[in-house]
Amino acid sequence: MGEFYSIAITNNFQQADTGTKMIHLGRNTRSRIIAKGISAGQSQSTYRGLVSVHPKADGARNFTQCDSLLVGKKCGAHTVPYIESRNPTARVEHEATTSRISDDQLFYCLARGIPAEEAVTLIVNGFCRDVLQQLPMEFAVEAQKLVGISLEGSVG
Amino acid sequence: MLTIDDIHVAVNGKEIIKGLTLAIRPGETHAVMGPNGSGKSTLSYFLAGREGYELTAGRVLFRGEDVAGLSPDQRVARGMFLAMQYPVEIPGVATMTFLRTALNAQRRARGEKELDASSFLKLVRKHAAELNISDDMLKRPLNAGFSGGEKKRLEILQMTLFAPLFAVLDETDSGLDIDALKLVADGVNRMKSPERSLLVITHYQRLLSHIVPDHVHVLAGGRIVKSGGKELALELEARGYDHIIKAAA
Repeated sequence: MGEFYSIAITNNFQQADTGTKMIHLGRNTRSRIIAKGISAGQSQSTYRGLVSVHPKADGARNFTQCDSLLVGKKCGAHTVPYIESRNPTARVEHEATTSRISDDQLFYCLARGIPAEEAVTLIVNGFCRDVLQQLPMEFAVEAQKLVGISLEGSVG
Repeated sequence: MLTIDDIHVAVNGKEIIKGLTLAIRPGETHAVMGPNGSGKSTLSYFLAGREGYELTAGRVLFRGEDVAGLSPDQRVARGMFLAMQYPVEIPGVATMTFLRTALNAQRRARGEKELDASSFLKLVRKHAAELNISDDMLKRPLNAGFSGGEKKRLEILQMTLFAPLFAVLDETDSGLDIDALKLVADGVNRMKSPERSLLVITHYQRLLSHIVPDHVHVLAGGRIVKSGGKELALELEARGYDHIIKAAA
């Protein structure tokens, strides 16, 4: 079982092109990729991932989930999955979603006393939950703070 | 407590509220009733300070302070609250985490100490039990997959936790069955106190037989066309908005 979890955050004018390679060589190998991308400001974020199944990898299975979150109206997110299958018994799944932090969500947080920047951090951390919960407690807390720092200046 | 002085409010350049005046004193409960499109929800969003609800004339004073320059979170920290008609889902954010973040943000803004995890938990559990909200519900992501009744109960739980001085309840009765309505109304009634004022916005008299108002106002075309005591709500129910609005014109 190969697992890959990632969170990529871009802000301001950054452009990021990130991803992973998952290579299945043996029989009945399984893998999972969960990639979360957050774009803020005027940044562009790309997920580019290869899932390769070699001829001997009978019954190989991969599941890829690629979620993008847009903060604001001037950023973009792109998903480029590469799938190479040289074995007819392989099963390779790719799911992708893109969503935006809505005005309603932001206003709801504000109307409960949460300042805008803290609200964005809260919503982004919720979005990354699947990945953050894979981390040990101490790292998860640090990672959550890092999300906040990376997004500084993305609203208002 | 709250003085609304001849306000005009525009949304996307279109004037929705056209000269509304209302004074709410401490301890009073006011109800605003009106047909669809009369400006009820605009009033509630405007009071909460939502972006895009532009004040073109008049002013609003909360405890003597002009709220015009205050952001929504600053208003909340000063003791205003809006229970929303359509509470929003925030995926991945546990309800408990959201409540704690909100309460501590408010306390911080007021220069008070943040609550630690255990005293916060105790406080939430106590109030959640009164509203029949289970621990399981508090662990789920905020409002995600909640039923209409659960969402409204959670709004009242937040109102109870934050203990505002002035709260607007925007169609809190919509989408509730009779039992849930009673639960929510009891929650609101527990909040009533001589220092706290409520503004209840509703279509129907039904809610007002549970949360009894001191004053009832009829909103139509962005103005209050008639005000009276709680009997006005009954009259509206019996005779319809059309009749009252025509008679007042």
